[in-house]
Amino acid sequence: MTSPSDAPILSSISIDAVVDEIAKVSIWMAELEERDDWPTPLRFGLELSVEEALANVITHAFEDVESDPVIRVDYFRPAPDSVGMRILDNGPPFDPTAVESASLAESVESAHIGGHGVRLMRHFLSHIGYVRRDGMNELTLVAGPKSAD
Amino acid sequence: MQIDREQAGSDVVLKVTGRLDTPNAKPFETSLLDAVSGSEGAITVDLAGVDYVSSSGLRALLVAGKAMRTAKRDLTLRSLQPQIREVFDISGFSTLFEIK
Repeated sequence: MTSPSDAPILSSISIDAVVDEIAKVSIWMAELEERDDWPTPLRFGLELSVEEALANVITHAFEDVESDPVIRVDYFRPAPDSVGMRILDNGPPFDPTAVESASLAESVESAHIGGHGVRLMRHFLSHIGYVRRDGMNELTLVAGPKSAD
Repeated sequence: MQIDREQAGSDVVLKVTGRLDTPNAKPFETSLLDAVSGSEGAITVDLAGVDYVSSSGLRALLVAGKAMRTAKRDLTLRSLQPQIREVFDISGFSTLFEIK
C-alpha cells in the first residue's frame, strides 16, 4: 500500500461552508465510485465519514474567522482495495483524531445530542490521520481492509 | 428525502424515504417534532425506505425521542436496513429506542 501522504490526487472538489454543499460531495463520490469501480462495501462508511468530517468543519471551523472559508476534498487510492479522501480547510487548527468518542448512553434522557460522528468514523475507516500544514487542517480518511493489530 | 404521515386514531406513522444526512436533518427533525406536537398517541418511524443515515439524522431522532419521553409517549422505529442498523448499533442508539 502507498502511504496515504504519497498517493497521487486523482480528483478534487471545493465547496462553500454551508451544509447543503455536502450533497455536492456525495454526488461527486458516487461518480468516482462508478468511474473507478470501488470495492463494494467501502462507499457507505467512507461517505458517512466524509460527511461527518465536513459537517464538523462547516458548523464549527469558521465561527470566529474573518478570512474567506476554504474547504477542499481530495480523492486518492492508496491501494486497489482502499479508497482515500483528504479534507482540507483553512479554519483554526483542530485535530478531530484527538477527540474522544461520546460515551454510549443508557437512556434517551441521558444521551448526548452530539459526539457520535467520531465513533462512526473510527468504526468504518481503516485509517484516520491529521496534520496541520501551510495554515490548513488536513484530515486524511481511508476506507479499506483493517490491519489485524 | 420524503416523509409520508399516516394517522391511525391518536397514533402516527411516519414513513421516511431517502437520506437522513446533514442537509436533510433539520427538515426531518421539524417533521418529527410536528408529529409530536400534533398528536397525542404513539409515534412510529418507518425507516424501510432510508438507505443512508449520518449522526445528524440520529440527532434528529434523539431530539424527538427526548420530547416523547418527556410527554410519556412511545416512539418506535421499524424496518431498518442492515447498514442503517449498523449505524444505530455502533452509536448505541439501538438500545435507546424500541426497534421493530
